[in-house]
Amino acid sequence: MTNQLRIGPEGRDDEVTRALRELYAAPDDPAYWERLEARIMANVVAEGEGWWQPYQEWMRTGLVAAGILVAAAALTLAELRTESRREAVTSVIETPRTLAHQMATETTGLPDREATLRLVTAP
Amino acid sequence: MATTAYARYRRFVHTAPAEQERQQHERGLVVQAQGGSREAFAALVRLHQTRAFAVARAITLTREDAEDAVQDAFLHAYRALDRFRPDQPFGAWLNRIVANAALDIGRRRKVRDADQLPETVATPFRDPAVDAELRARLEEGLRKLTERQRSVIVLHDVQGYTHGEIGAMLSIPEGTARSDLHHARAALRRMLVDMRSAEP
Repeated sequence: MTNQLRIGPEGRDDEVTRALRELYAAPDDPAYWERLEARIMANVVAEGEGWWQPYQEWMRTGLVAAGILVAAAALTLAELRTESRREAVTSVIETPRTLAHQMATETTGLPDREATLRLVTAP
Repeated sequence: MATTAYARYRRFVHTAPAEQERQQHERGLVVQAQGGSREAFAALVRLHQTRAFAVARAITLTREDAEDAVQDAFLHAYRALDRFRPDQPFGAWLNRIVANAALDIGRRRKVRDADQLPETVATPFRDPAVDAELRARLEEGLRKLTERQRSVIVLHDVQGYTHGEIGAMLSIPEGTARSDLHHARAALRRMLVDMRSAEP
């Protein structure tokens, strides 16, 4: 080593860079990488097999049943809505006549003069 | 000059198909892994763990932290795999996740590790006495740098990443990576110059 700094390309101190590279050199033992891979994959597998894994089949069945229930409820609701709408329309169109109105407008079997009078004076 | 350019061209011509093949193979593995194949994901781990470790090691102070960061990063990647578009480079995407995981570990362990020396790899230097001191100084100097400066100098000077790639990994502008590198080199040089001056 000298007192002069050895400056390399891009203003880099080659000696420091060399030392840095040695300091940060990746392990070259294949066993090290196999262990790291095994560790990573153990984590990944554990992630895939969470506490819910044994219940996954039940969950699927439950989801299907819930789907059927929701569909049935939606159908019933639609049916009820149609029925109530029909009732509302009927109630508007077919307003029941009052007894007074019925008597006043009933002309069957009456003479023409009486029938005409009833129709004219009907409420 | 012309020879260099020609040599580069020859190298490109010869390596391009291999690189394309590698990318295609990797894309296939990503698609399979997205489809639920753990074997394909394990193959991706095998392909990328060395680079991932290097990125993590550049950011963390110890090898153990780097290993934890790599492990966390691959788990994050596995969880987010369905959001990854296979036409993108998997390595660059993974490196960003690794850098984030390493920075996160660094934040969590900053206080605990403040007084510990980073673990070193036993690679012999030319002169054990001087080099051991240089290494000790270097380690001390690296610890005195900010986390970002240390990451940038190691990612650039040791791992060979460009300023742009480092910026993308650490979520900083390219200019900031460049400036951090300049300051980190200057600071390390200042710290080492005393030792050099003292030598006979």
